[in-house]
Amino acid sequence: MRLSGKRAFVTGGRSGIGRGIVDAFLREGADVVACGRGEHPDEFKAGWISLDVSDPDAVTNTAESLGAFDVVVNNAGVQVEKTVVESSDEDWDLVMGTNARGVFNVCRAFIPRMRNGGSLINIGSISGNVADPSMALYNASKAFVHGLTRSIAVDQGPAIRCNAICPGWIETGMLEAGFQLAQDPDKAQSDAVKRHPAGRFGKPSDIAAMAVWLASDDASFATGQLFTVDGGMTAASPLNPGLF
Amino acid sequence: MMLNGKTALVTGARGGIGRAIVARFIKEGATVYAADLTPGGSLESESDDGGLFIKLDVTQEQDAVDAMETVRASHGKLDILVNAAGIEIEKTIEDTTLEEWNRSFAVNVTGTFLTSKHALPLMREAARSGTSASLINFGSYDGFIADPGLAAYCATKGAVHALTRAMACDHGPEGIRVNAICPGYIDTPMLQSFFTGEGSGGGGGNIETLQQAVRDVHPMRTYGTPTDIANLVTWLASDEARYASGQLWVLDGGLSAQVQQMKL
Repeated sequence: MRLSGKRAFVTGGRSGIGRGIVDAFLREGADVVACGRGEHPDEFKAGWISLDVSDPDAVTNTAESLGAFDVVVNNAGVQVEKTVVESSDEDWDLVMGTNARGVFNVCRAFIPRMRNGGSLINIGSISGNVADPSMALYNASKAFVHGLTRSIAVDQGPAIRCNAICPGWIETGMLEAGFQLAQDPDKAQSDAVKRHPAGRFGKPSDIAAMAVWLASDDASFATGQLFTVDGGMTAASPLNPGLF
Repeated sequence: MMLNGKTALVTGARGGIGRAIVARFIKEGATVYAADLTPGGSLESESDDGGLFIKLDVTQEQDAVDAMETVRASHGKLDILVNAAGIEIEKTIEDTTLEEWNRSFAVNVTGTFLTSKHALPLMREAARSGTSASLINFGSYDGFIADPGLAAYCATKGAVHALTRAMACDHGPEGIRVNAICPGYIDTPMLQSFFTGEGSGGGGGNIETLQQAVRDVHPMRTYGTPTDIANLVTWLASDEARYASGQLWVLDGGLSAQVQQMKL
């Protein structure tokens, strides 16, 4: 087991990628505490804290109450499917509050309590490097995560490593919501699958596998980097004439 | 005029993009050597762009030496070099023969190396007597992300990108700026060949439908023209770009700014 003896904190652990990371960390022997908005999820073997990461005081109080960690994963994130012009102040507060300020809140509160040799893992996105249509604030919030990742790696090394994982299209509720924007969601989905050299969408476990590696001591020289796990999608041109 | 009094040499000068560069450079007041394999280059029609034709096979070192000697004899310096000569093999690596692979690197990479190597002494002269000399390579957005069935081409363009940065580091102190322009889809014979090629999936299909689909996937809803490329090359060649060096300038109508576009 690659994470035995390590204590990990995972934000947004209820479902999707976060749940995949929690399950994988438990399998690898880590002691895991997860957080999210709302009550303890069903059939959840890790510890649970009800926490909205966008609330700085609540995050600080949680960090103080939980003690030291070896691994912190900033996974909690939300998306709003709008262009800049369509986005309201509330949309800004929601998306930037969770995806940008939430990551900042957790980093600020937990880094001082991380053990030497610790690993901080942020969930960025391919959308922080290239744009998904009608996802303006989300795309921008993930670029913030990428920049913050490098800053933390530079400032906190050698005590703490910090990396980001940039998932592509992973089978989660958020992906499903994206496809519901399409005029023909089924057609959009089959078209999208074809654009993956891997021939499929990702699963939360694909991202969790990278998170396990980054959390483990195998990754002790990896810091300050963005690791894209997207089935090869962004290696290919957005334009794939073979499809037409 | 942006290039008044400057001497320029353009390789691949009689191809689709090359001709547009030569014509624009002349309009901006430069003396232009149009280097290519033949006066017509890759196009069927003759060129009346006004460039001074030099026969140059970029894979042959002696051709590069001779071309630069011609420039030296008349002008004694070279302000601008544009390495626009390039070929594209539309195949996966399994289908690509060693000969095709070597030919791709010979033209796209070795050609850029040889022409630049022998141009540098003349460009140093230009930098000493003028502001800065400008060397412009042709990379591609395919050097960053791959189109299907273009393996050797993608690899050569990645090599040109790295070479561009290396040359910028080495020769910046000598007053020579080195940049690469990375076109996306530009309406040239090479692009039309890609549309009709078997590797693209366009073979046997409706070319007009395919072309429209390609336009639609661009944020600007069109692919580019050789004039668009010439506009940026002219700026990079001019003294306005005197602080621009070591960069890869993507010009693609926004194509590579987006995640793979779902057909919504």
